Amino acid sequence: MNIRNLIRRIRNSLHLRKELPNEAVLGFLRVLEDVREEEIPCSEIYSKLDEYVEREVSKKDAAKLMPLIREHLDVCSECCEEYEALLNVINENSKS
Amino acid sequence: MPTRTNETWLSDLHDNGLARELALEDLRAIIQKGLPFALSRWLSPDQPQFNALVEEVTQETLLRVLDQLDTFEGRSQFTTWVHKIAVRIALTELRRKRWRDSSLDELTENEDVPPPPGLLADPQAGPETSAERADMIERVRRIIQEELTERQRQALILLGVQDMPMEDAARKLKTNRNALYKLLHDARLRLRRRLSMEDISPNEVLTLFEQK
Repeated sequence: MNIRNLIRRIRNSLHLRKELPNEAVLGFLRVLEDVREEEIPCSEIYSKLDEYVEREVSKKDAAKLMPLIREHLDVCSECCEEYEALLNVINENSKS
Repeated sequence: MPTRTNETWLSDLHDNGLARELALEDLRAIIQKGLPFALSRWLSPDQPQFNALVEEVTQETLLRVLDQLDTFEGRSQFTTWVHKIAVRIALTELRRKRWRDSSLDELTENEDVPPPPGLLADPQAGPETSAERADMIERVRRIIQEELTERQRQALILLGVQDMPMEDAARKLKTNRNALYKLLHDARLRLRRRLSMEDISPNEVLTLFEQK
């Protein structure tokens, strides 16, 4: 390890100890079990979210038909929030 | 309001005359009917900022729909696609506002107020559990420190500690939401592999912190 790397490690270590509280470490661990090797980006989730939600509302077992989307939603909180919000809207529409 | 098929929506919105105006009017009503349900977890219709947000989101959604009309692939109902755009705009705006407000709150907090007790300081945990927790969290923290790159740690701090929305964190790191997600995904994979090499199961760590 060269001296620059060593300094970076020490600096990172101090930085991390100061700023990464236990809750953040545990929060990071919480999603690890659900992480898959294969991953699709948020933009691809977004492009298919309307189709996914419609399948879900019409009880077509969207998670089984589009498993990669379900897996992404399990680990990406912002995509999951958008999914839940859209699901609420489409669920309400399907009642009326 | 007339019932339109996907094709009718597209042809009406591509029209340059009255058909487009009527379609936009109907679309506005559809978006505004859906937004209270989309926002129900975040904002209630009696809150003062609700109406202004709905108006702002509706305007922005209509503009974006017209702009992106040719990207609609017909894999869902046209109106579901429109609601999806409205949801993205609304939540991005809400996250930004909430984060700005909470950051301001933190800045104006009285510095004498002690920080909330951490999980290690759980008064109900026995001394052995506390020691085990302290030991475990140190091991995990050391692994994070050794495995993650500086940029991955920065992302982790912005999102996990400062609670910054992904769009804003991406901007701060001069990247986009996709790349930021990939950065975190790689970080998670690296961390999981290393934990496994060290025979640490994330679930066991979490269980240790949940038990009294």
